[in-house]
Amino acid sequence: MKRFSCIQGFAVTTLVAAMSMTGMTHAGVTDQDILNDQATTEDVVSYGMGLRGQRYSPLTKVNADTIKELRPVWAFSFGGEKQRGQESQPMVKDGVMYVTASYSRVFAIDVATGDELWQYDARLPDGIMPCCDVINRGVALYGDLVIFGTLDAKLVALDKDSGKVVWKKTVEDYKAGYSLTAAPMIVNGKVITGVSGGEFGVVGKVEAYDAITGDLVWTRPTVEGHMGYVWENGKKVEAGISGGEAGRTWPGDMWKNGGAATWLGGTYDADTNLMFFGTGNPAPWNSHMRPGDNLFSSSRLAINPENGKIVWHFQTTPHDGWDFDGVNELIAFDYQDGGKTVKAAATADRNGFFYVLNRENGDFIRGFPFVDKMTWATGLDEKGRPILNPAGRPGNPSETEGEKGEAVVSVPAFLGGKNWMPMAYSQDTELFYVPSNEWGMDIWNETTAYKKGAAYLGAGFTINALNDDYIGVLRAMDPKTGKEVWRYKNYAPLWGGVLTTKGGLVFMGNPEGYLLAFDAKTGEEKYKFNTGSGIVGSPITWEQDGEQYVSVVSGWGGAVPLWGGEVAKRVKHLNQGGTVWTFKLPKSAEVAAR
Amino acid sequence: MLRNRLSAFLLGCVCLLALPAQAREYDDVIASGYIRIGLYQNFPPYSYLDKGTPAGVDVEIGKRIAQRLGVRFEPHWIVPDENLEDDLRNNVWKGHYLDKNDDQPLALKRLADVMMRVPYDREYSYMRDSTGVVVNEQVVMFGPYQSERWQLAYDSEKIARVSTMAVFQYHSIGVELDSLPSFYLTSGFQGRMREHTRHFASLPLAFAAMQRSEVDAVMGMRAEIDQQLGLAGSERYRLGENGFPGMGKQSWDLGMAIKHSNRQLGYAVEEVVDGLIRSDEMAGIYSAFGLQYELPAFYRDTAN
Repeated sequence: MKRFSCIQGFAVTTLVAAMSMTGMTHAGVTDQDILNDQATTEDVVSYGMGLRGQRYSPLTKVNADTIKELRPVWAFSFGGEKQRGQESQPMVKDGVMYVTASYSRVFAIDVATGDELWQYDARLPDGIMPCCDVINRGVALYGDLVIFGTLDAKLVALDKDSGKVVWKKTVEDYKAGYSLTAAPMIVNGKVITGVSGGEFGVVGKVEAYDAITGDLVWTRPTVEGHMGYVWENGKKVEAGISGGEAGRTWPGDMWKNGGAATWLGGTYDADTNLMFFGTGNPAPWNSHMRPGDNLFSSSRLAINPENGKIVWHFQTTPHDGWDFDGVNELIAFDYQDGGKTVKAAATADRNGFFYVLNRENGDFIRGFPFVDKMTWATGLDEKGRPILNPAGRPGNPSETEGEKGEAVVSVPAFLGGKNWMPMAYSQDTELFYVPSNEWGMDIWNETTAYKKGAAYLGAGFTINALNDDYIGVLRAMDPKTGKEVWRYKNYAPLWGGVLTTKGGLVFMGNPEGYLLAFDAKTGEEKYKFNTGSGIVGSPITWEQDGEQYVSVVSGWGGAVPLWGGEVAKRVKHLNQGGTVWTFKLPKSAEVAAR
Repeated sequence: MLRNRLSAFLLGCVCLLALPAQAREYDDVIASGYIRIGLYQNFPPYSYLDKGTPAGVDVEIGKRIAQRLGVRFEPHWIVPDENLEDDLRNNVWKGHYLDKNDDQPLALKRLADVMMRVPYDREYSYMRDSTGVVVNEQVVMFGPYQSERWQLAYDSEKIARVSTMAVFQYHSIGVELDSLPSFYLTSGFQGRMREHTRHFASLPLAFAAMQRSEVDAVMGMRAEIDQQLGLAGSERYRLGENGFPGMGKQSWDLGMAIKHSNRQLGYAVEEVVDGLIRSDEMAGIYSAFGLQYELPAFYRDTAN
C-alpha cells in the first residue's frame, strides 16, 4: 500500500509565499462561510455550491461574450494506476483546492500553480464489495478539517495543511455491505452523512457527527420500524421509531432489511432549518415479496438537523419495483405566484417525474414528466402519487414458468430519467437545468441463476437507447409550467453535474470528454474543450485574485460502463482517466472582450 | 532514452515473473508447487475457518486435488458478490477491480486456479445475454461432484410434523436473506407465508434462532441443515419430509470452474475428482462431516 500522505516541501513553500503576499488571514472554514457559500464567490466550501445545492454562482466575468477566452491553466493527474470513475466536485478555500478521487483518495492542490500539496490514500481492506464502481463525490470543509467518506464506510477528518488524520469514525460495517461515496454536509457544526449500500440487507440512515471531535450526535434510520437515537452528554437516548412503528407499510420482518440507502447525501435550507435527504429503493428488488408502500424507500425526507427528527416525507415511487432510487437532490428555491412568494423545492426523480414541493411541509405543488417516454405510470394524482400502469410492473418470479419470465419493457430504465448527477437552478432565468437520459430496459425473471452455490432467481435486464442519435439530454425546465425551454442532445448518456452562473451560462461535462457551456436562455453552445477522458464530475466556478476560474474533474466511469447491452456499445470506446482541469479567464482577455 | 525505456520494460517483465500471475496454466501450477483453490469464505459446511484452519467439504476436496497433483493446497477465499457471474469474473478470469497493488502496479490480479462449488448446469454455462454473447464464455464449468437440494428442519416441540408447506401459514420459518427460500416463502402461495417468514444473514443464524425458540423451522440447503442438526445433536430438531411445490429449481449439481484458456488443468483436476467419486472417497468426505451425499446427475445416469 501507498504512503499515508506526504507533503511536498516545494509546494508548501510556494503556498506560504502566496498566502503572505495576499496578506489574508486564514481562520479556517466557519458555519457562516458555509451558509453564505453561494453568495461568496472567492471560495467553494459546500457540495452544491451552497447548501441548497442550486449550483448557481453570481459570478459574471465569464459570460457569453468572454467565454471564448476561457483557457486551461493547469491539469492535475490523480495517477496511481487507479483510473476509475471520477464523480467528485472540488472545493476551494484560500487558494487551495481539495478534491477526491476514485478508491477513496483526497488531494490538496495549490490553485495558483497546480502543484500537489498533499495526498491522502485511505487504506481499504481486502474483500470490500461496493456496488457501483469505486467513486467518491467530494469532501466537506470545516475549521481546519477536510472530511470525507471512504468505500469501507468510515468518515475521515484530515488536517487541511498536512493531510494527516485528525479523527476517523466507522459509520457502518463494510462487511455488511455498507460504503460511503457521497460528500458529507456541514450544518451548524455537525457533519451530516448518509450511507451507501449494496442491494440487500442494508438499512439506510442519516447521521450527524460533531465536526470537531467526530463524536456521534444523532442517528436516524430511514426505514419504518427502526429506532433513532440522540447522544446527550455522552449517553445514547432513544429518539423515537422512524415512521412510528414497524409493519405499517411492510409485510413480515422485511422492514428489518428494507434498503432505502441514503447514498447521495442531502441538501440544507437555512430558511426552514430543514435538511432534505433522498432514499434508495426498497429491498429486496422483487416487489412481489413486499406488498405495501415500503416507507421510507424511494422518498424525500425533511430532517431536523438538531436531532434527526423526520419532519415530513414525500414518496416518489411507492412500492418500487423498477429500482427507482429516490435519492436525487431536492433543491430549495423561491418563486413568485400572484405576488406571493412560494417556498418551494424541486427534484427530478429516477422515475422520470419532476416534482415541485412545498418545502415547509412536503405538500405536492405540481409534477410532470421530464422525459419523453414513460411506461410504468400514466401520470400523478393530486397528491403527487403515481398513477400506475398495471402492465408496467416486472412479473412475479414465483409465477415464472420455464427458463425465463416474460420480459416487461420499462421506461425509464432503472438507471433513471436522471441519476445522481446534480441539476442546477438559475436565479436569473428561473429554470432548472436537468441532466437526463432517454433510455428504457427489458426486464425479466431469470430462473437459471445461482448465488453462492445455491439456485437463485435473478432479474435479467438489458438497457436500450430510445433514439439512435442520442441518450443524454440536458434540459432547461420551467418549474412553474413544466415546459421544456430548450434541450441539448448528447450521443452518450449524461452522468455529470451541471453548473449555472449569473453570467448567463450553463456548464456541464459529457462522457465524450468535453466541458461544455451553453447560453442559459437559449441553449446555444458557447464553449467546448476536450479534457481527454469522459466527464462524470460536477464543475465549479470561483474567483481568485480578481479572475474567474472554472474547474472540473475528468475521468470516465461510474455505473454506466458496469452494465452491458446496447448502451455499452455507445461508451465502450471511451478512455479512462483521472485529471482535474482548471480554467480561468485571464484579466487581459476580460478587458479585450469588452 | 531508449535504454531507459528498455530497462523499464525488462523490470516490468521481472516483476511479472516474480509475482503470482493470474490464471496460471497447468505447467505453472505444477512448477510453482501449489494450487490455489477458490472457496467461499465463512460458508459452513463447505468452506470455513475452524480455529484459523481451513475446513469443510470443499477444503477436503481441494486438499485431495492438490495432493494428487503433487502440489501444496492454498485456499483462495471468495467474498460472494451479487451473483455467480460476478464471482466467476472476480475470482476465475478477470479479478476484482479493487485488487490493486500500489507498490507493484504491474502485478497481475490474484485469481483462483480452480473455483469450487460452481453449479454444473448446461443451461447456465451456455446462457447468452441480450446481444447474443455467451455470458460466461471466459470460464469452463466442469467436474460435477455433488447434487444439492433444499431442505427444511423444524422444532418438534412447536410443530408436530412437517409433511407439507401448509403449516407455514401458521408457523414461523427462518431463511437466509436474499435466497431462493426467501423468494419462495414471501412471493409464492399468494403471499400466505409472507408474514411468518423471518430473515437472517445466514442459515446458521436462522438455526440458532430456532434453538432460542424464536422461529419454529428453518429452510436452507440440505448440507447446511444437516450440519446444524448434527451440531445441535438433539432429537428435538428434525428434517421435514415435505416437498416444495411450485419451486422453480429444487435440485442442482455442483462442480468447479477454471479459466477457459486453462483446460489442461481442468482435465487433470477432473480426473482426480472423478476418481474420488467413483472410489466412494467423496461420499466419505461428506459423511465425515455428518452430511448426506447425493451423486450428481451425471453419475446417477452413468453409474452401474
